[in-house]
Formats: sequence, C-alpha cells, structure tokens
Amino acid sequence: MPSNRLAPIRTLLSRDRETVAEEWASDVLRAWERNYPNMISQDETRHQMGRLLAEIATLFADHDGDTPPKIPADSPLPGLAGEISASRAKLGFRPTDTAHFVIALKNVLTRHLVRMVEGSQLDLVVCLAAVDDVLDRLALMTFDAYVEARERVIAQQSLSLVELSSPVVRLWDQVILLPLVGIIDTVRARQFTERLLEAISRYEALVTIIDVTGVPVFDTGVAKHIMKAIEAAQLLGTRIVMTGLSPEGAQTLTKLNVGFGEVTSRASLRAGVAEALRMIGRRIVAIGG
Amino acid sequence: MKIPILRLGRVLLTSIQVDLSDADAMQFQGDLVTKISEIEAMGVAIDITSLEVVDSYMARVINDTATMARLLGAEVVVCGIQPYVAMTLVEMGRGLIGADCVFDLEQGLARLNERIRLRGDARLDDGE
Amino acid sequence: MAPSAATPVVPTRIQITEQMDIVRARAEAKRLVGLIGLGPSDQTRLATAVSELARNILQYAGKGQCEISNISTPAELGVRIVFEDSGPGIPDVACAMRDGYSTSGGLGAGLPGTQRLMDRFEIDSRPGRTRVSIALIRRRL
Repeated sequence: MPSNRLAPIRTLLSRDRETVAEEWASDVLRAWERNYPNMISQDETRHQMGRLLAEIATLFADHDGDTPPKIPADSPLPGLAGEISASRAKLGFRPTDTAHFVIALKNVLTRHLVRMVEGSQLDLVVCLAAVDDVLDRLALMTFDAYVEARERVIAQQSLSLVELSSPVVRLWDQVILLPLVGIIDTVRARQFTERLLEAISRYEALVTIIDVTGVPVFDTGVAKHIMKAIEAAQLLGTRIVMTGLSPEGAQTLTKLNVGFGEVTSRASLRAGVAEALRMIGRRIVAIGG
Repeated sequence: MKIPILRLGRVLLTSIQVDLSDADAMQFQGDLVTKISEIEAMGVAIDITSLEVVDSYMARVINDTATMARLLGAEVVVCGIQPYVAMTLVEMGRGLIGADCVFDLEQGLARLNERIRLRGDARLDDGE
Repeated sequence: MAPSAATPVVPTRIQITEQMDIVRARAEAKRLVGLIGLGPSDQTRLATAVSELARNILQYAGKGQCEISNISTPAELGVRIVFEDSGPGIPDVACAMRDGYSTSGGLGAGLPGTQRLMDRFEIDSRPGRTRVSIALIRRRL
C-alpha cells in the first residue's frame, strides 16, 4: 500500500473545510477589524479566503506521497494570495497585519491536525511539515506582492506630486502658462519640460509664460534647467515671457552669463499676462468701458 | 533622394519629408543655396516637421544652410521642429539651431513676409 | 525586419557599414526602445545617440556594429546599446569628450552631446578596438 501520511490534511480540507474557513475568517477579521475598523468588506474577504482555501485543498488533493506538494507554475495560488495582499497594501495595512492572514491559517490547520492525527507521532510531524512548507511559501509570495504593491503606490504618489506641482495651463488661445512651484531637480525638470513642449505643440502656443514665483531656491542648477526648457520651447516657435524672478534669480542668471536676449521678463504674473496678451494683439478692458 | 524646392514669388519653400542620409543632406544644402542665388530669393522656409531624429550633423547642415541663405541675402525660418527633437537638441548642447523657428509652414510664410516687408529692397521690383 | 511582437527580439545586433545604415540603425533603435517600454522623448534621445555614434564608427573606423539590449529590472526600465569597431581608436578620449573638439570638421558636439543625453556613457578605446556603451534607465511607474 502506498504511503499516505498526508491523508488527514486532505480530509481536513474537504470534509471540514467550512469549519476551517469559518475559524480562519473570524480570526483574521477580528484582528483586521480591530486595527483597521470599517476599512474592509467582510463578505469580500470571506469570499477571497474561501477561494484561496479551495485552491490549497486542490493542491493537496492532486498530490501523492509524503513530501510537501510543490506549487506548480500555472497554479492560481500565487495570484490569489498576491491579490489579497496587494489590496491590503493599497489600503495602507502594515506588513505584519497583511502576513497575518497566512499565519492564521497555519494556526487553524495545526490545531485541527493535532487533534485528528492522534495515532502516530511521525504522521503528525509529516503533516505539519507539509502544511508549514506550503504556507511558508505562500507567506513569502504575499510578502513579495505586498512590497511590489507598496512600491507602485509610492511611485504613483511621487508622480502625481510632480504633476500637481507644475501643471501647464491654457490661459488664452495660443497663450499657455507654466507655473513652477517647489524644488526643481533633474527628473522634475525633464518631466515639466516634456509636458511644456507637448502643450506648446498641441495648442500652437505663440506665447508661453513661465512663472517662477514659487521656486524657493534659484541656484545655478535650477537656472540651467529652466534655461534648457526655454531654449527648447523657442525651437518650437513660441515666445517666452518669464515672470516672478527674485533678485537672487536675476543675479544667478547674470552670473551664469546665459543669453536672455529673446526672453521678455516681467516682475509679476499679472504684468506677464498683460504682456502675453499684447503679443497676440489682445488686451483686457472693463465691460462697457 | 532629391528634396523638392518650391518657389512662391521671391520665397522658397522646402519640406524634408524623409529621414536623410548624410549625402542626401549635403545634396539638399547644395540644391537650396544654388536655387536661392538663382532667383535672388528674399525668404526661405525649411520645414522639418517630418524629422523625428535630428542629430548634431543634421543640426549643423540646417544651421549652415540658414547661414548661407542669409549670406545670399535671404530671410530664413525653420518650421515644425518636433517637441522631442527640440528637447534632445537642447540637451545635447546649446545653439545647435540658430535660425528663427516657427510651428509650421503657414506661420513660416507669415513670418517671412513680415520681415520682407521691412526690407529696403522689398519694393525694388515695382520701380524697375 | 523583425515581427513587431509585444516583446522585442533583444539583444539585437545592427551592422554599420554604409551611410544608409545610420538611418536604419536609428529607426530600429527607436522601434525597439519603444517596444521595451520607454516613452517618445527617450526614444528620440536614444535614436539621436545611435545616429551620433554610428556616424562616428563610419567616419573613423569605416565599419562596426551596435547591439541593443533590454536591461530592465522589476523596478526600472532600461536599454543598453554597445557600439564596437576595430578602427584606429580615439587618440585622446578626454579631449574628444570636450565640447567643440572635432578632428573631422563636424560640430564637435557628437560625443559630449551624446553623453549628456544618456544616463550611462562609457568609452574604452585603443588602436584596433573601440567600445562605447550607453544606457538609459527610467524608474517604472
């Protein structure tokens, strides 16, 4: 007769699956509810855990022998575990709380197996080793998925921060405004220059206002980035009006000896808008005036 | 590969529509300056809307052509530099394109006519 | 031309032996870099760099080759292009990397300009073997 020491696990995961699922879910949900009240849908979590448990049952059911089953490449398990873990990461769960759901399952299964496999110490050890092995690998997968999801959240946040801080605004037909706010480094400079050039080309902007009122530090690095953006914009065929330059900014630009001949500068954004409108033959007048 | 050069009165229009080899670019430069001199052109518009890559060699050809055209007495505009091309040129080094730049041929023609109007020789033809 | 599959066939090797190869190499570089996932501005940067370095090979060595590789990781997108020739080599690399320096009557913006476009730029030149390696690295979003 072939050795069949893992049979108790199969029995547990088929005959008693409802019980296991219930104990597991209540354990996990109790912890999550305590730490993250009202953030999770109980029904959805139960449903996700049910699917995961069903797949683990399939894994053991399809497996012969005493060694722990390998998780095949085409198994839906990593995907399912990753899904649960990634959705926790997006909600801002701590890594330990996210990992808790796999560990909780291990505890439930261990508890049941200790009760079921009374006859042989060896059988119990083999069963527990198999459960350990499968769930440990699942835990590692959830951890990978968690880290990956968190990294994506961070990357998205830094991207939206960049976009928020330098929108390209259409002021009038063929007049656009780039208000620069905050620290300007190489990556940000590349991004705003790209978006500025795309906007100039899309709107065929005859005049581009670059407002630097919100740039706190105007050192040579920043000045060079801004000059590059201005030069590239001029190559497309737009005229540049710069507004809001600080005295330090003017000193930096002069020291750098950059040719500013083609750039019109105005003290305030207000003056710059008036200048830009004049360049396209428009002006603002009082209604009925 | 021959780049067509169109004549519109005393203005020459030319549009580079394909990726040129270095020899084609030199051929184009020669053809254009010959034509400028031949009709005593007052304005030249070079449209490079279709160029997706302008390296330092091509930039130099365009720049040199513009300088030669000016030496032959013509106003020059370069039309339609693509946004990413502009960014790349500026990142590579300053001053790769020294000519006046506009969005498209239409604006190029308007700019040329504006500048030709201000020239002392603009009405020479009428008096003859 | 290779089929335009979702995953590009890389590493791809392009021979540079005549003028039209410059045009072909930069078009192919642009296409592959797009397939690897870099945006239009980086495609233009790399195509321009390929154009510069391929021309250098033709001008100084007569012939050579370049190889485009995908060096992306889970966190970053990356492309590396290695240019190799067996020409006489660059006599003074430090000098060739200076703006405005040219032995061929060019603009002298080729090598330093290319370096400014790239995130990585390595040059190793001796008589009989010159190797220039460039790369663009972008964080995945």
